[in-house]
Amino acid sequence: MRFPRRQILQAMCLGLGVCSALHAPALSQANSPSASAGPASDSERYIVIPGPLRSFLRMAGISQEVSPEQVLPMLARNVSLYGFSGGNPKEYLILLDRYVHQAKDLQRLADPQGVIRISGCRDANELLATLGYRIEKGCGRRDAALVTANSERAFLTIDSGFPLSALEQALQKDGPFEHPFSGTTVPVLLTDAEWVSASKWRRNASDNLLDVLLHDQDLDRLYSAMAKFDSATRLALDESPGLKRLAQSAAIVDLYGGQICVKSGQVIVPGEADKAWQEIAGESPHAPGKFVTSLLSKDGGWLAAYFDALSRLNASQQVHFTEGSRLKRFYNVYRSTALRTDASRGVYPRNGDLLILLSSVKWLPDGDVSIPGDVAVWDAIFTQMAKSREVRPWLGRNHEWNTSGRLLETLVASSNYRSEAGPIQVFLLLSAIDAARSADHQLSGEAEKLVAHRYAHFSHWFPIFAEFPALDDSAITKFVAAADKIDSISNTNLKANALGAFQADVGIWQILARQHEIPDDQLNSSWLAVVQPFTGVGSSAQLFDAARSALQGTLRAASGDPNISQDQIVDLLAGPVHQDRDSQRVHQHVANRIRAVLEDQRLASLDSLFGLYDGLNQVAHGSTSGSSLLPLAESLREFEMPRPIFTGNERSSWAPIIYSSRHAELQVRTDLTRILKSPASPAQLEAARGQLTPFLRDTLVGLNYAYYEPPGAEVLHNNPLFVRSHDFTSVSVQGVTDIWDEPRLVGVGVTAGGGAYLLGSLADLPYALAMTEEDFIVPKNVQALIWREVVPNLLVGATLPRWWNVSPNELHVAALYQKSGEELLTASANNQELRAKVSTILSDRIPPVRLEQISNRLDSKRDVKELVSTIPPADLFFLAYAFREKYPDLADQTGPASKQLSALCSKDPANSSWQRLSVDFGVPHPSFLVTNSSALLMTKTLSSYGGNAGRLFAESWDSNNLYWARIADEMGYSPVELNLLVPELTRNMITNIFASNTDDWPALQRAMVQTGEEFRNGKIARETAFAAEPAEQTQNKSPNQELKR
Amino acid sequence: MRKATLAIFGLAPCFLLQPADTQSAPQDDSTHLRMNVVLVQLSIAVTDSKGNYVNGLRPENFEVTEDKIPQKISSFEEGSGAGDTASSNEGEVQTQTLQAAGTVPSDPHLQTASTALPEAVHANQASVFVLFDTSNYMYRGFVFAQDAITDFIRSMDGASKVAFYSYCRDLSRAMRLTSDHFGIVNAVRSTVAGDDAALYNSLLLTVKDAAPLKGRKAIVVFSNGPDNASSVPPEDVAELAQSTGTIIYIISTRQAEEDPASAAAFERMSRVSGGKAYFAKNWLDEKKAFSSIREDLVHLYTLSYYPQANPNKGWRSIKVRLIGKDLQKYHLRTRDGYRLVAQR
Repeated sequence: MRFPRRQILQAMCLGLGVCSALHAPALSQANSPSASAGPASDSERYIVIPGPLRSFLRMAGISQEVSPEQVLPMLARNVSLYGFSGGNPKEYLILLDRYVHQAKDLQRLADPQGVIRISGCRDANELLATLGYRIEKGCGRRDAALVTANSERAFLTIDSGFPLSALEQALQKDGPFEHPFSGTTVPVLLTDAEWVSASKWRRNASDNLLDVLLHDQDLDRLYSAMAKFDSATRLALDESPGLKRLAQSAAIVDLYGGQICVKSGQVIVPGEADKAWQEIAGESPHAPGKFVTSLLSKDGGWLAAYFDALSRLNASQQVHFTEGSRLKRFYNVYRSTALRTDASRGVYPRNGDLLILLSSVKWLPDGDVSIPGDVAVWDAIFTQMAKSREVRPWLGRNHEWNTSGRLLETLVASSNYRSEAGPIQVFLLLSAIDAARSADHQLSGEAEKLVAHRYAHFSHWFPIFAEFPALDDSAITKFVAAADKIDSISNTNLKANALGAFQADVGIWQILARQHEIPDDQLNSSWLAVVQPFTGVGSSAQLFDAARSALQGTLRAASGDPNISQDQIVDLLAGPVHQDRDSQRVHQHVANRIRAVLEDQRLASLDSLFGLYDGLNQVAHGSTSGSSLLPLAESLREFEMPRPIFTGNERSSWAPIIYSSRHAELQVRTDLTRILKSPASPAQLEAARGQLTPFLRDTLVGLNYAYYEPPGAEVLHNNPLFVRSHDFTSVSVQGVTDIWDEPRLVGVGVTAGGGAYLLGSLADLPYALAMTEEDFIVPKNVQALIWREVVPNLLVGATLPRWWNVSPNELHVAALYQKSGEELLTASANNQELRAKVSTILSDRIPPVRLEQISNRLDSKRDVKELVSTIPPADLFFLAYAFREKYPDLADQTGPASKQLSALCSKDPANSSWQRLSVDFGVPHPSFLVTNSSALLMTKTLSSYGGNAGRLFAESWDSNNLYWARIADEMGYSPVELNLLVPELTRNMITNIFASNTDDWPALQRAMVQTGEEFRNGKIARETAFAAEPAEQTQNKSPNQELKR
Repeated sequence: MRKATLAIFGLAPCFLLQPADTQSAPQDDSTHLRMNVVLVQLSIAVTDSKGNYVNGLRPENFEVTEDKIPQKISSFEEGSGAGDTASSNEGEVQTQTLQAAGTVPSDPHLQTASTALPEAVHANQASVFVLFDTSNYMYRGFVFAQDAITDFIRSMDGASKVAFYSYCRDLSRAMRLTSDHFGIVNAVRSTVAGDDAALYNSLLLTVKDAAPLKGRKAIVVFSNGPDNASSVPPEDVAELAQSTGTIIYIISTRQAEEDPASAAAFERMSRVSGGKAYFAKNWLDEKKAFSSIREDLVHLYTLSYYPQANPNKGWRSIKVRLIGKDLQKYHLRTRDGYRLVAQR
């Protein structure tokens, strides 16, 4: 394989700029430094990797689906991430290096055509020795077998996928064997010689870039970073400051250099504020080499981190931050706290919180910063925060917060404070709550102070008030009061049960409110009915009453009847039932799934618990006899612990901390039949009622777990202690005090621990369940693994949003927007004017290097359809939407979908709006938007971030549901069927993901498109397809046909 | 090789498709959930005090009780290894055929009925799932283990179908159940080393794949170290294996044996399912262990029964004992109970 330099030359002839929306239309690369640098020869622009590419990719941990251009950047990225520890090579790199040597040995055995050939047994020895095998039982015999002779070589042979079985079969017959083993040519960024000469590592003159990448970590990082630049920028930086100089700041370039863009001899800076940036950097952007050198080296890389965060903002936001002296002022405060740490430490960028803050800031018409509440409130909030020794240093030097500008400065300063409950998080939350509320219903100062003051404790619960703006300030106050009351309970068991029951009741309210089953005008009152009963809990029996009363408050609002049965509660959770058959069928399916979890968790029925509780009360009042309750009491005793494998002593010594089944064991010992069979005092009967409370807690918690069951779940169905083991008070792990935090998965990989369980609160339960279940999804590709950093978010995006109230029109419009985006792109291949417009819009979403690739493909006018399939649906949607906003007169001129979309937008503007479709087909972005409300982000796909911003990358991918909606529309599914389709398609997509590293978003796009095609072609399991069949047919199906897990 | 299949009461084939224990089968048409006990099948190894397999036993030599309720055996089959004088490659396993136990009744009616039963026809064909540890524990012994597995697969006779799965943090179904042993060997040699070891998670998924199969079914796990990534505990896997009649064999290395929790889990989990655990010191031991499993599989008796009415909706204990002159001295190995499994 050989890859000519056409791609680079094309880049130099582009009629489009790619760096910035502000520069896009006018840019050309003709003036780039490369124009005068002179082309390198072809031989310098590629290298040969020994052996087949497939084998090399296996050994290098790179997806088999990458293009040849991506091979070396991916290799560099993986070697830099996984290859070294303290400067020494790790196992990954050692094996890769050994493989390269073995591949070279094998290549020497190949003939001039690059094929390894043996005629049979007589000339197999050298090949076998190279592979690390020998033949057993005599060559040429039917039972001959290849066995390991040299385990080191044999391991590489197997791991790289050499066809050993075929060789063995040939030798059994003493027959010929052939295997192509020629080297693979892959393109190089810049030239091989430049990289080799830039490396500090050198062994001998014949070393090429591959050898360098396998030994020089700094160069790995730099190579990986250079792949993120468009070609003009790359060439410019190669000329000045040059690779050697850049290599000195390789980590900074890698982490924060991706947005640097050089065009027409200058660095494109955020907000086009050349002077301001010159002032900060000390060099002019018009001298790219010097400017970039300064940018990367100043303040230990923190200036680069600042530049990077600002560059990722959309153009209008950049302008705000560069107005007046803001840029410099904000940088000064940012630097003042940043210098406590090192910008290049670790493998992830450290500016994630800064990016979230800057992205979320809103501006008033007069150009001032919009803040929730008034400055006096914030002054009080920060004054309070400054009393904390831990927070104070991160608030910057200036402790006066008497203007909104000062407030923003302080927030910028605090973005370096790596905490989940810092000033930025408080600001984002209060902003989100106020943004969701109407102008005359904003948070009061007192409520703001309360939220800020208690944020560290309830940070994962307060977002409910942003999700449901109908909840007023008293709802916040009452919630805090109830939670505080529960916190003050001294009895550990009672406290754990109270926490579980309270949070589960709130969770049920949240589900029904989100599904619009609680009327808007009853949201606040029903909320109060849920939380208030818990303010008076002092005993188990009281807790039972409170938990039941809270549930009744929700049920009364949702159904009008506070005493409906468990089956009816499940029906409520399974979503609103409409008159149409599709809705009823899907509803039934969802309800069945909930019931299956409750069944497999062996949870007591609410009907039995309430019946028994009321019966015990009646016994106490003499209105019924205890014997009539015996069947109900017996039903409680049906729960059995799993058959033990370990003794109690063994658990104590082999899993002393983790084992957490005490709550369940207590239930097994609960026997109310004894008290019912003999006369009991009122106190004994009250105590008996109290014994039902743990069962009630578990069933309420179980309803939450069951509702958020991720597709492909196994723990929920096979570990009957999973719900019961939820540790609400952290009794199983010492030292954990943040019991209201999101749940974490504990006990993974502890053989005698009784299974993993969740520790913490029920906040963010969908994500915790997704983390629990993700590894039961079986990847289709042998080399692939479930992508831990991303898959939980994908699963949450498929389980938390529901589509009960989406109209067919909205579904169709979502599909049309995507098609319209495709039409725009396709039309821009032959229309330079349109291309400029398209490019300008996309530059707010797509990084320069990717824009360049798109432009190249459009220039070639070949494979435009294939190109379109590589653009994430969210980007296509954004393109069509923004184009329509910006050029309404041109909106319907690019194709039939655009035309149809125009007609629908005119006819039904409300249901065609971004806001509406964003709610319909978006996903939750709790890190970005501080709420679990579904939305589509208007941002570029991001890198992986560490710290608080760790979920940013996954959250920035919100294309899935849009794409599934489009497929559903095209295949004639009704919107309600998305409730089944989306989880199943998402699970299938996850099995198709074949990613190479932690921010490989093209792998997500490939997997999503592949899954869509499989579904269109009928290759996805039938349980999704059945939803389109008439109801009569479905009812006649056997359970096994209908339900497949 | 002698195959002895016997249906005791001349059951019509359609009867096998009916729920046998409707009392314990709460049905709810609105939820489409079923709790069925169709047939309980037991795979039983009978050995003498030296570990030699005992062949030639007849159905009347077995007494089965479930929660102390006597059960009627509805089908019976002796393993394909019965009568073999051949032993394993290492010559460690001997076979003892009981001439005194008599021969299979030749009642043509019973035999006809027997061969009409879908389970009985294919019962002698074992379904074997090989589950191979490709976690980074395996790095050093990876290729030797592969040699042992390929040797094992080659040694399985044509009556067995084999699947090859591998696991690290995630399961990989490299080759589904097939009679194509070359394809299986190829799959073994196409594995890629992975990261963490989620044995119990992967074993659970494998048991679930095996669960719907009829006839003898076994999972042979090759593990090189303690589990460090599973979220389900071994108890749940063992219980599911017992409830679905899936035998688990585990071959592990000293690295797992040195972890007492893993060693205990491997030994107990396999025992309660009717299988065995082996701790190999080196690759030769691994080959011997595979050989032993192969011998075990071909010498198992398979019997089944429809449970008598039993109100117990939880764990049901199974007890099997040999009755007849001089038979009490032999050792029995089979699962000791099951839990009703929801069919969805």
